Amino acid sequence: MYGKGLRSLSIATVVAVVAAFTLVFFYAPLEAEQGFLQKIFYLHVPLAIIALCGFVLGGLFAIAHLRTRDQRWDLRSYVVIHMSLIFALATLITGSIWAKGSWGHWWVWSEPTLVSFLIVFLLYATYQPLRFSIEDPERQARYASVFAITAGAFVPMNFIAVRLASQYVHPRVLGSTSNLPGPMALTFVVSLVAMALLFATLCKYELTAKSARFKLRALRRRLAGEDAQRRPRRRSAVPEPHSSTTLGARVAGGGAST
Amino acid sequence: MSAFVVAEIPALPLHTAGKYVAAAYIVVFAIVLIYVAIMAIRLSHIERDLGELLAMADEEQPQDSSGAERESAAV
Repeated sequence: MYGKGLRSLSIATVVAVVAAFTLVFFYAPLEAEQGFLQKIFYLHVPLAIIALCGFVLGGLFAIAHLRTRDQRWDLRSYVVIHMSLIFALATLITGSIWAKGSWGHWWVWSEPTLVSFLIVFLLYATYQPLRFSIEDPERQARYASVFAITAGAFVPMNFIAVRLASQYVHPRVLGSTSNLPGPMALTFVVSLVAMALLFATLCKYELTAKSARFKLRALRRRLAGEDAQRRPRRRSAVPEPHSSTTLGARVAGGGAST
Repeated sequence: MSAFVVAEIPALPLHTAGKYVAAAYIVVFAIVLIYVAIMAIRLSHIERDLGELLAMADEEQPQDSSGAERESAAV
């Protein structure tokens, strides 16, 4: 089921990313203060927005998991947070490169936006070790969901708190989007859509790959017989959306779908 | 009055800013590329596992059919 629509989504992502980069370098005018360096913002800001939205989405999926006890929501929450962490890392690196070009420093500790984003990143960096430290899959999923909800609620609170801070030097791109000239606003929106599509595609790839691996594992257990089923489960941070018997029965029935 | 002023000439020289912009875009491209490479490795593992399972299924099938033949002969 996860692989459905993956091809069209991938094509849409490639088209959107190519369109965004074309607009950035051949259409969007140069900004007076920053000059060419401002082109980084068309990459850095959408990455940051998508990463933060992904963290919140991970929390929402975790709520769905706790409400329904369906392990598939836990898997979605895990994949979305995992991908947001990668996007957050890209945000930190691109932001740091921009800071070096603009401020002359790779990192400024007195800047609330940078430090708060780093805190969010480090908070979510503990998500996988937390999962890995719990052996029981049920308990692992439950604790991870509680973590995802708590941390997901922290993200918008942190965002608002930083924006309310009076002393800042970090450029406010989101607050001044309405003041952007037309070509700049269009480029920014296309870049945002491109990054959102890239995020969705990578999440879908991850979900499809994991789903295929689980089905293969279940099939292997089924073919290997009862002895293999009794083998102790290897400790893993990756949630397993189905019990071996349920999926095994589905595979045997020819309707293996997640 | 627009908060952004569009200029004809960049405020920073292109050769100075260019390397930072290139670095930022290359980093993101590299991250996506590394991710795709990891996915390719995973896909090759899945393919290998699938091959092993097919071999296992092929081994079991002749045994099953010969067992069924013996049963029918005994009846």
